[in-house]
Amino acid sequence: MTTGLNLYFDNAATSWPKPEAVYRAPERQMREFSGNPGRSGHTHTLKADRLIYRTREAVGQLFNIHDPSRIVFALNATDALNIAIKGFLNQGDHVLFSALDHNSVLRPLGRLKHDGIIETTMIPSSKEGLLDLEQLENLYRPNTKLMIINHASNVTGTIAPLKKMIASAHGKGVRVLVDAAQTAGAIPIDVYAEDIDMLAFTGHKGLLGPTGTGGLYVRKGIDLKSYREGGTGSKSESDIHPETMPERLEAGTLNSAGLAGLLEGIIFILETGINNIRRTENTTRTKICNRLVDLKRVKLYGPQTENDHTVAVISFTINDTDCGEIGYILENTYGILCRTGLHCAPFAHQAIGTFPQGTIRLSPGFFTTDQDLDYLIKALKEIIDLVS
Amino acid sequence: MTASCYITFPTTFFAIRAESILKKQLCSYKMVPVHRVISSSCGTALRCECDNIEEIKFILLENNVELEGFYKLKEEGLKTPVIIPLAIDDWEAGEK
Repeated sequence: MTTGLNLYFDNAATSWPKPEAVYRAPERQMREFSGNPGRSGHTHTLKADRLIYRTREAVGQLFNIHDPSRIVFALNATDALNIAIKGFLNQGDHVLFSALDHNSVLRPLGRLKHDGIIETTMIPSSKEGLLDLEQLENLYRPNTKLMIINHASNVTGTIAPLKKMIASAHGKGVRVLVDAAQTAGAIPIDVYAEDIDMLAFTGHKGLLGPTGTGGLYVRKGIDLKSYREGGTGSKSESDIHPETMPERLEAGTLNSAGLAGLLEGIIFILETGINNIRRTENTTRTKICNRLVDLKRVKLYGPQTENDHTVAVISFTINDTDCGEIGYILENTYGILCRTGLHCAPFAHQAIGTFPQGTIRLSPGFFTTDQDLDYLIKALKEIIDLVS
Repeated sequence: MTASCYITFPTTFFAIRAESILKKQLCSYKMVPVHRVISSSCGTALRCECDNIEEIKFILLENNVELEGFYKLKEEGLKTPVIIPLAIDDWEAGEK
């Protein structure tokens, strides 16, 4: 990078910067009480146990989950989605997913479908990235068991009409798995009020925690098959994995250091207020969109005006210029970091008409400033002049 | 010879949940490693005065803490303690 600047517009991939406490907590955990949670009962272990418990409670507080034992920790949203999809579905089941889904959903479903275990149907999306709910009612089959809802698209930022979709699914006796990779920590989520059956989230995006953290909420009454078994520190005399949650789905040592950071990220969100975060990020998104619309040769995708139905993700192209080239100039000339190309969501790009070239994606965060925006727009103006 | 009582839990989650709940109460208790002569459920048990076990059991069940078992330990120095399982009716969470 020639500028020395480091302006970060890639929060949809992973958030940065993090609150200061998020950096400090993993180091403190490793230095001061690095016991293996759940194993033995000495002081370090107990401290690690308490940390894990507090993190579970904090997740519960953020998502209004009354029973924290129904929250299992995972590596990230992809891991949580795999635990849910492969643990819930059985031979002959039919699944509804959507055109906006990420490969973290498409690939586990694709594998099960390819292996002849399940059938799938895609809920189509409009060119604006809005799901076609009129068609939804016609897509159910007698063997439909699960609907997977992409809570917000990582390509267009579009937020799914969760309540409507869940009411539709539950009306047909179909369970719902919500992929909150782009929404956890960015917009309010209430599993109780929204009647969510399973919620997959990652820790390193909106929750402001370290990579390698995330989790899955599973409603009481849903008993997922575990695709991995092993050490839990409990019932050690048995060669059958415990069925009690959360250990049922948490074989092996948990990422205590990462979860220490995640806890601090969630505390920051709870103290700041999720509505304040939402308002700030939505304002930033709107400011960027309003200024991009005024730029010549820029084409925006998804909802473009101020609204309550998007997270802070903006996709655009500049004429037919290769997106990767724009990204390269943004970083190497201006020190601006963003993501370009296909964003692991091929059907979403097909729906909005950007397949296979992809888009330039800007995803500001809570810490993005107005000065950052001014500089970004100035840089894009210069790049447009350069490539025109 | 001294006597104390143990409560064991099916998972560490419930052991720590118990601790978290009892912290807010005026109960005397201590979280300790499960004694090896008790068939281990999870590594941590709750140790308390036997006079308090009924009250602690009540508080924990009221707060949906799953419990595994109750024991009375008679200890004499470093000798292996005598462990007596306690038959306390209706102790399983959710069955009350």
